[in-house]
Amino acid sequence: MHLMKTKAVLAACGLALSMAACGNAGGGGTGKDLAGKDVSCGDFTGRVAEICKAGKVTIGVKFDQPGLGFKSATADEPAGFDVEVAKILAADLGIDSKDVKWVETISDNREPFLEAGKVDLVLASYSITPERRKVVGQAGPYMVTGQQLLVPADSTVKDISDLKGKEVCSVTGSTSIDKINEKGAKGVGFESYSECVQKVLDGTVEAMSTDGTILAGFAAQNEGQLKVVGDPFSEERIGVGYSKKAPEMCTFITDSLKKAFDDGTWAKAFEDTLGPSGVKTPDAPMLDACQS
Amino acid sequence: MDFLTNGHNAYLESFFYTLMLFLVSGVLSLVLGTILVACRVGPVAVLRVAGGWYVTIVRSTPLVVVFALFQFAAPMLGIRFGWVQIHIGTVDFTSFFAVAVVALTLYTSTFVCEALRSGINSVPLGQAEAARAIGLTFGGTMSQVILPQAFRASVPPLASVLIALIKNTSVAYIFGVGEAVAQMRIMTNNYASERVPIFLTFAAGYIVIVFVVSFFANHLEKHWRTA
Amino acid sequence: MTAISSQAPTAAQGEPLVVLDHVEKWYGDLHVLQDINLSIKRGEVVVVIGPSGSGKSTLCRTINRLETIGSGTITLDGQALPQEGKALAGLRAEVGMVFQSFNLFAHKTILENVMLGPVKVRKSSKADAEKRATELLDRVGLAKHAPKYPSQLSGGQQQRVAIARALAMEPKVMLFDEPTSALDPEMIKEVLDVMVDLAKQGMTMVVVTHEMGFARTAADRVVFMADGQIVEEGTPEEFFTHAKSERARDFLGHILKH
Ligand SMILES: Nc1ncnc2c1ncn2[C@@H]1O[C@H](COP(=O)(O)OP(=O)(O)OP(=O)(O)O)[C@@H](O)[C@H]1O
Ligand SMILES: [Mg+2]
Repeated sequence: MHLMKTKAVLAACGLALSMAACGNAGGGGTGKDLAGKDVSCGDFTGRVAEICKAGKVTIGVKFDQPGLGFKSATADEPAGFDVEVAKILAADLGIDSKDVKWVETISDNREPFLEAGKVDLVLASYSITPERRKVVGQAGPYMVTGQQLLVPADSTVKDISDLKGKEVCSVTGSTSIDKINEKGAKGVGFESYSECVQKVLDGTVEAMSTDGTILAGFAAQNEGQLKVVGDPFSEERIGVGYSKKAPEMCTFITDSLKKAFDDGTWAKAFEDTLGPSGVKTPDAPMLDACQS
Repeated sequence: MDFLTNGHNAYLESFFYTLMLFLVSGVLSLVLGTILVACRVGPVAVLRVAGGWYVTIVRSTPLVVVFALFQFAAPMLGIRFGWVQIHIGTVDFTSFFAVAVVALTLYTSTFVCEALRSGINSVPLGQAEAARAIGLTFGGTMSQVILPQAFRASVPPLASVLIALIKNTSVAYIFGVGEAVAQMRIMTNNYASERVPIFLTFAAGYIVIVFVVSFFANHLEKHWRTA
Repeated sequence: MTAISSQAPTAAQGEPLVVLDHVEKWYGDLHVLQDINLSIKRGEVVVVIGPSGSGKSTLCRTINRLETIGSGTITLDGQALPQEGKALAGLRAEVGMVFQSFNLFAHKTILENVMLGPVKVRKSSKADAEKRATELLDRVGLAKHAPKYPSQLSGGQQQRVAIARALAMEPKVMLFDEPTSALDPEMIKEVLDVMVDLAKQGMTMVVVTHEMGFARTAADRVVFMADGQIVEEGTPEEFFTHAKSERARDFLGHILKH
């Protein structure tokens, strides 16, 4: 079942993050190089062929989300599940991961960067939404996750419904804030998740909310003080962004992901980044079809 | 434009927060700034020095740092604003709003103080001497003669300070207040295809507020010039 | 008339109102007032003259303590000048002061300028203060300018308002520091006329001025200062015709040429 799958991903991510935070496992360090495959660029068309021939690709990822896309001050390259999936895509274009140019994208500049051609692909915990698909192309999803609550360890809050009319922290302008309001709580926005964590710890708010993957990491960092509660009350389908000017990208990405799902590289990436805890890697999500 | 058809209430509500932040901290800044300037030019040496230090330190601290201090450091010292609980319809004024008002007021009052001080310095010394010569005390001299003239001379710099305050309220967007910029971020995230119209619509909101303030300032200036 | 000596007042000329006794003042190294002894009787009009920088303004300003003194004493109506605060403000209300540059309150109307002291210091009712202010403005010939602002008046008119403002406090003594030297010649007379009137009505006045005409008409005594000292004093007649000191004759020679 779909919901089950989501939960499995969340559980896996959460545990993985806790490990990463404590032991600097796969999610925290720099990932391994992935060599480009032997491909014939003539098999591709349009922009995909161009990139293949050039042997260089620019990919936007997050630099501040442990386990997904994170670059520590000392690291040369970002690391995380998003980054590993990006390397798989690059490899299918015949590009070595060391020839990938990583660009930090934040929530606000993902569409502008794609539209302006500053990046070829975006893998930055980029939720697929119909609204975004008006401006950019989104292929995938390659992961499905959902929004939960992080509360003090001694809190009696069990669910978002316990927080009607109460203030719940998340990142300013994020979809999480919107969702919180939709559920009858009052979203208050801060610049980063760690600031929200602080607001939960100092008692200004009763809870914070965002993707369960992220919350689990913070719960692990503050063991005994914070815990993740509640069923996911949103479903985030994380996909790959590309420019609308290059619709041929979609087929390439979808094919590449499908291959990775089938040949085990996707599962391997998950295990390396979010999976060092040993929790079973979830089933791969269903891929959206590309509009012709 | 979907963001307006679906979100015009959210838009207006967010600007209501912006406006309230501006009005409340504006009034408090004027009051605190006046007290500060009285300290700075007054006859008590301790207050003069203290006022000078306060202005120097707070004025040279980035506003976002002042916010952060009150949002993150103050609770550790037991300074909280949980008692602030005012709800008007769907609009809430709670500790986040209170912290924003405190930060904006402490910060802006230093600029008010300096704007007034420039106004005071522009009042000829003879005005104070004449005031003292008819028997007014320091308080009387300040309140009856110096400050009214200083306020007049300070209208243009004070208007600049208040206009800066209008825009500075936007710093609250990353400190838990759902003011205009916070709402703008939500909208640009949700309506990715309408990013530019969203920016322009929110810019327009600020322009309207600034325009109203400038209008009043110009009006006051003209009114007092003929006086 | 004989020379009025500050050491020997007679009953007819009233008892001393303002007494400066061994007053010294320094500005850093500059000894601006040197052993000043001066006694001004009730109803007396004293004109202070002397070269620029001789300390005339300073002398004037010490009498209402706009300047502090280094040593010596100044008494007003038998009481020493208070040091600070409310008592000092109270004293200043008793001493009217007219400045060279008028110093009318720029943000208040003519009427408000005259009413401010009575209302805020004397705590008169607004109505009483307004009635009295209107009378005073009438006396200096400016009643119809009451609602105007200072910047709308000529210098001479402003100075007459300044006199009315000082008079509104019903001071025991009036100090004038070169009240006409910032004025165009045609306006000097209108101000001097008001001052002569005031002198005739028996106001005690200390006037720093170079207007010999005023000194001859209205002054009981002329005090000549140079280098922070009172060099000589006497009746206007005596002083202008037979100045005793070389310095005074020199000074008179200079100003009478013009
Ligand atoms: N605040 C001050 N600080 C230092 N020196 C001063 C100050 N005020 C006046 N003086 C000096 O004290 C001396 C006396 O000044 P004062 O103004 O009393 O002279 P005056 O006789 O009124 O001259 P004038 O005819 O030019 O008005 C001058 O040398 C002047 O430069
Ligand atoms: Mg002088």
